[in-house]
Amino acid sequence: MMHTPFFMLVALAALSSGCSAPKPSANLLAPSEAQTKLRSIQSRTFEVSDRLVALRGVMGVLQDLGFVIERANEHLGLVTGAKFAEPNYLDVVAITVTVRPQDDGKHLIRVNAIFNNKPIEDAEVYQAFFAALERSLFVNRG
Amino acid sequence: MFRSIACGVALLLASCQSAPPKTFFQLSPEAPAHKAAQTRFFETKDSDALLSASAAALQDLGFHVEECERGVGFLRATKERSAMESGQVTSRVFLLLLSFGYFIQPIDLQQQIAATIVASPANSDGTRQEVRVMFHRVVWKGDGAFERNYIPPGEQRMEMIRDPLVYQQFFAKLSKAVFLEAFTL
Repeated sequence: MMHTPFFMLVALAALSSGCSAPKPSANLLAPSEAQTKLRSIQSRTFEVSDRLVALRGVMGVLQDLGFVIERANEHLGLVTGAKFAEPNYLDVVAITVTVRPQDDGKHLIRVNAIFNNKPIEDAEVYQAFFAALERSLFVNRG
Repeated sequence: MFRSIACGVALLLASCQSAPPKTFFQLSPEAPAHKAAQTRFFETKDSDALLSASAAALQDLGFHVEECERGVGFLRATKERSAMESGQVTSRVFLLLLSFGYFIQPIDLQQQIAATIVASPANSDGTRQEVRVMFHRVVWKGDGAFERNYIPPGEQRMEMIRDPLVYQQFFAKLSKAVFLEAFTL
């Protein structure tokens, strides 16, 4: 009985907070600085004029890296793949690569990788991918 | 007490392992050898025929095609089979007897074997085609028990199939299907 006013207060507080639910801010979809930085880490332009060549290069390098290609779409310039990370083969790495033509005839390749449903934001990881891709595109051209 | 410490250590270890390593996209020293085993070349201009023959060869091996994109010469097929092995069943029974019925070891129950094929021109005039196939399998464990704790089924692991014989057999079938000789570089 002694606790009744306390419970009433709590209930009132809960009610009032329910009434004034925070509204989504106006810039909810605006890109943050971190996102812009991440996009630049994940993107690179390659001097390849043929999208198919770029796509095949991406698929080749993913296979070299042990990824299993799950989907590939020529028209959308899209490749998705996944692999279970060594050595325990219990963690999953999923990757999406998009190939988009640029105005200057080059192609922009954007990669984003996910490690167990958590995005990978380490620049070194993406640098290694682009280095392997550059080699693959060079070999294919040769 | 000991069990809680063991759990704590296991959790700590698990959290240490779950950090993404920086080596995801670095080529392993074995990558060229794996590529050589997984790749064959065919002297033909007809990449479509090669892809369709690959699908036929996989059908012969009991696979069903799940995904195909002609433009980039991509094909993915899977088949499911039992993963039970007599060795594991024996060890399960042995451990059950040894632990006086306290430990029922979960063993491999079901597996999905998948083949991913990419066929692409190997030279600029398109007279030679490269076919690369990768086989892997995902294995699901059955249920088990430790003391009174039930271990639910469904734990899965994945492994690449590296046995060169599997690849040789596939390419032999593919060569027959396209009436062409497969060769390595």
